[in-house]
Amino acid sequence: MNDDAYEGARLDKDDVVLKTTGLEKAFGGLVATDDVSIEVERGTITGMIGPNGAGKSTLFNLISGFYENDAGRVTVNGEDVTDLEPHERARKGLVRTFQTPRRLEGMSVREAMLVGPGPQKGESIFSLFFSGSDVTEEERANIEQTRELLERFEIGHLIDQPSTDLSGGQMKLVELARAFTTNPDILLLDEPVAGVNPTLANDIKRFIRELNEEGQTFLIIEHDMPFIMDLADPIIVLDQGKVLMEGSPDEVRSDDRVIEAYLGGAGP
Amino acid sequence: MSAVTSWVRETLVRDATERRIFAALGLITVLLVVGVLTGVVGLRFLLFQIALVGMYALLSLGLNVQWGYAGLINFSVAAFWGIGAYCAALLTAPNSPLGLGLHPVFGFLAAIVVSAFVAVLIGIPTLRLREDYLAIASLGLAEVIRAIILNERQWTAGSSGISGIPNLMSWLPLTDSATTAAIVVFLIAVVYLFLRRVHRSPWGRVLRTIRSDENLAKALGKNTYRFKMQAFVLGSVIMAVAGAFYAHLNLYIDPSDLVPLTTFYIWIAVILGGTGSNRGAVVGAAVVIAIREGTRFLNDIGFIQTLGVDLAPLRLLFVGGLIILIMRFRQDGLLPPKDELIWPAARDGSGAGGASPSGAASDGGASSNGGDDR
Repeated sequence: MNDDAYEGARLDKDDVVLKTTGLEKAFGGLVATDDVSIEVERGTITGMIGPNGAGKSTLFNLISGFYENDAGRVTVNGEDVTDLEPHERARKGLVRTFQTPRRLEGMSVREAMLVGPGPQKGESIFSLFFSGSDVTEEERANIEQTRELLERFEIGHLIDQPSTDLSGGQMKLVELARAFTTNPDILLLDEPVAGVNPTLANDIKRFIRELNEEGQTFLIIEHDMPFIMDLADPIIVLDQGKVLMEGSPDEVRSDDRVIEAYLGGAGP
Repeated sequence: MSAVTSWVRETLVRDATERRIFAALGLITVLLVVGVLTGVVGLRFLLFQIALVGMYALLSLGLNVQWGYAGLINFSVAAFWGIGAYCAALLTAPNSPLGLGLHPVFGFLAAIVVSAFVAVLIGIPTLRLREDYLAIASLGLAEVIRAIILNERQWTAGSSGISGIPNLMSWLPLTDSATTAAIVVFLIAVVYLFLRRVHRSPWGRVLRTIRSDENLAKALGKNTYRFKMQAFVLGSVIMAVAGAFYAHLNLYIDPSDLVPLTTFYIWIAVILGGTGSNRGAVVGAAVVIAIREGTRFLNDIGFIQTLGVDLAPLRLLFVGGLIILIMRFRQDGLLPPKDELIWPAARDGSGAGGASPSGAASDGGASSNGGDDR
């Protein structure tokens, strides 16, 4: 595909939560992210697709600060966060999940959920000894929120289970619920239904949609085409580190460049 | 009274194996008491051993904060212990190179300050990186500290060591060995209660998250560097306090104790007891010391004498054998941490966990007693 085919993303949106401008990242000679500028509008579920090696995960890592970029800027709610650490970006409202979440050893599902809200008073040793009752109050509220969220996600019965006993799909649900407890402005989900059985995948789709209807903004990487086509609008297509195009699911489906990218358009 | 019984039920007899472990510990205690009463075991000897076990327990508790809570690999336990011991010895012994002869309180304070300073110094470059870098750096630090103490004779008396360290609280109406044993029990109680509280708090929860998946903690907005630094400094300070105590227990200190072997004894104690478990750390320390000190007397047993082999030097072999047995039959250690660690006062009323309400009743303040131990 020649360079002219790369149309880029739409950059004229109204209420932008997340914006990248000219993001670049190279690993040695390999350019994984090449001048990526995207915008995510508040209140949308924005999808991100692309063939393997298109640079989706790299872009996520750049946006969330886990990789340092070579060039470009990232802004959240209009504020430049390019120089911030991952945890600082999270506090600015940009929260991500991981493709393969590691199970929290020795923790119950309740505990694994309680890590989410933050910053908590009880995370300071000083408060533990000098304002114990505040810590208790906050912890109670968080436990209550955890219980409600898990029940809402229909996994309330798992609350006492060791988190190491969860199935992959249940873990994905817990991850989604936990990320939501941070009260993010935008949630970046990295393949939320990879390796999840179809029934649970449908549940996850439903919950994401519900949260979205309540105003939660999402940016979702997903390989499962029916899933993402049904859920997201607009969809950004990445190919070889660049933004190929952006459009509604129908536009993406019928775009020749997208089909070429997926069907092995390796030639020039 | 019901609080006590529920505490016992929750803490001491959680499962059949734990029941057996505590029964064995109880039996050993009874045997030792009988031994003292019948004169087989010298009281003075026993009290010294208790103090020694206590010191190792403190070291294990310190390492447990670093490795058990936060997953930090610290191979310089001996160095922080040595820093504490030398701070105490240099400031309090009248014939140390500094010749100050200060009150022991200053020794302990110096131990805390210096160890915290060194921990921060080593933590700044390594804690931002992957965990292996701390392991490498701490291994180096241990040898650097030992080499400094060995070679800077004008300050540390080098290999000749420092003697004349005063006893602690010699005004107490007890023998010296009884006083030190009492002091170490007090120190462990304070450290244990402190750690129990922080372990079950949101703070401890973040550390345990970091141990399993540091990137997850970062993604949720936790400043993992700060948390790791706090755990590292806290653990190191506890080790230094143990060292300062040792100086006043042994009344003599030289650099030969700062060898890596000391570090690995503590690692064994923590793993044996159950990584991440405070009570496990204490029990693990007791087991390691029991083997290390107990094997000294193996050659005195008539049966073994007839074999004509010297068994005492094989003590490391016994420790190793025990580790293999534990790993084979009880992988999480003797007393592993419990499954759920929730701020005790918050469990009540929110339907969290199967906790006894005894701990939850005592809300707030710094002295939350009851509840369940870990």
